[in-house]
Amino acid sequence: MKTKFKSILIAACMLPAFYGSAALAAETGTALKNDTIRKEPYADAKSAGSFTRGENLEILKKQGAWLQVKTKKSTGWVRLLSVKRGTATTSSQSAGILAAASGRAGTGQVVSTTGVRGLSEQELKAAKFNETEIKTMESYTLSADDGRSFANAGKLKLIAFANLKAAKGDSK
Amino acid sequence: MKAIQNTQPAHGVIKTHNGLLISALLASLLGLSSMQGFAFDLKGVLKEAAQKELGQSPEAPATDAAQAQPATTSGENTTAAKASEPEFNWKNPSKEEEIALGREIAGNLLGAAPLVKDAALQKYVNSVGRWVASQSERPDLPWRFGVIESEDLNAFAAPGGYIMLTKGLYRKLNNEAQLAGVLGHEIGHVVKKHQLKVLQKQQLLNIGAGFLSDKYAKDNKLASKAIGTGAEISARSLDKSAEYEADRLGLSYATRAGYEPYGLTEVLQAIGQTSKDDGSVALLFKTHPHPDERLVALGDAIGNKLDNVKNGKTLENRFYQLKN
Repeated sequence: MKTKFKSILIAACMLPAFYGSAALAAETGTALKNDTIRKEPYADAKSAGSFTRGENLEILKKQGAWLQVKTKKSTGWVRLLSVKRGTATTSSQSAGILAAASGRAGTGQVVSTTGVRGLSEQELKAAKFNETEIKTMESYTLSADDGRSFANAGKLKLIAFANLKAAKGDSK
Repeated sequence: MKAIQNTQPAHGVIKTHNGLLISALLASLLGLSSMQGFAFDLKGVLKEAAQKELGQSPEAPATDAAQAQPATTSGENTTAAKASEPEFNWKNPSKEEEIALGREIAGNLLGAAPLVKDAALQKYVNSVGRWVASQSERPDLPWRFGVIESEDLNAFAAPGGYIMLTKGLYRKLNNEAQLAGVLGHEIGHVVKKHQLKVLQKQQLLNIGAGFLSDKYAKDNKLASKAIGTGAEISARSLDKSAEYEADRLGLSYATRAGYEPYGLTEVLQAIGQTSKDDGSVALLFKTHPHPDERLVALGDAIGNKLDNVKNGKTLENRFYQLKN
């Protein structure tokens, strides 16, 4: 009994740390590309099947850069970025109405009636240089040393990692 | 049967081409309108900014201005030289000129959406940004960052190291690694001079096409013509390839800085779940490839390269919480 209580306590304490995984309980997703589903979360693990772009799936677990997913045919691990998490939202009409009400929809004369300034193209075009604001922004400028102290305070450690290059044969 | 199979992909290709063509047309329309509408007089401010950054007094002798003149001068430009104004070297801008230009663009953007009045927030974002920028190829720039008052989801970079993100986007973030990824993307644009190159190209085209009448040359509105009116430049799209490149660099910088590498991709996941009809992403979706495409491109570029990268930090415990 005592042990059980203890483990519940531990589980409760760990919840914030595993917030990401906890939220995955009933999460769904969509395949972003064709990919192989692996039996274990490793690139050289045996294949457990595959999915095709656009296929709906269920996300069971996250482990590092891998997601355990369940498709109609198979269950296994795929790389994090092969999956779009969450169900695709259908076009929301209320968002459009809200936008219209606040004067932010359409391309005509946009007059902000809500007092909230926005960043539509029209509003950006009408923008006037603000010397006070840019000076304020510049007043926050930090030195490289400031940045290093901040990193040390957070125990951030430099990692050797070369800039990513575009994938071969990728026109993007 | 075979014939049908062949036409399917071809149709898809044509569709894509139409899309591209329309975007290209839109882009050129925007360019034109910005050239015709001189609603905003930029002359004084840019001149002052340039002089300040260059350490020149407004009374700089005319000879100095003439020396700064690019080698190929048209008749109009000669007029500008006589006006004793430091000429902006569009062909090969100095770091100071780049910063002065960025200041102008950032100042205009702040005119549309001012800074969030929360010094602790701004200081925090500058701390994260400065550390990430130190891992870039241009650590020597005077990097400055700001959170601006807007519920849109967006972030902006201006030449010389001026970077802004909206309060709406900040609200979407859960930890410091995600912020580092977003700032890293914008830092990537500055490092690769993506926006500066667009402005240079347009400016050199303007000169070539003889758009500079005597009056404009005299007013030294070269920069304003390139920037367009207000902060319109911030609403323009860059090449898709520039966005993908900034994604790769942003992730790389944040990873080097010691952050959990997937911060940027988590933000892209979150943005991707926003309906495209939601006004808060209208500009972002118009000017960037869809988050899904960006995730795929990043995933392809990453491949197995992150498999041995461990112990990156998310630091949600010190992530600054917005007051409202």
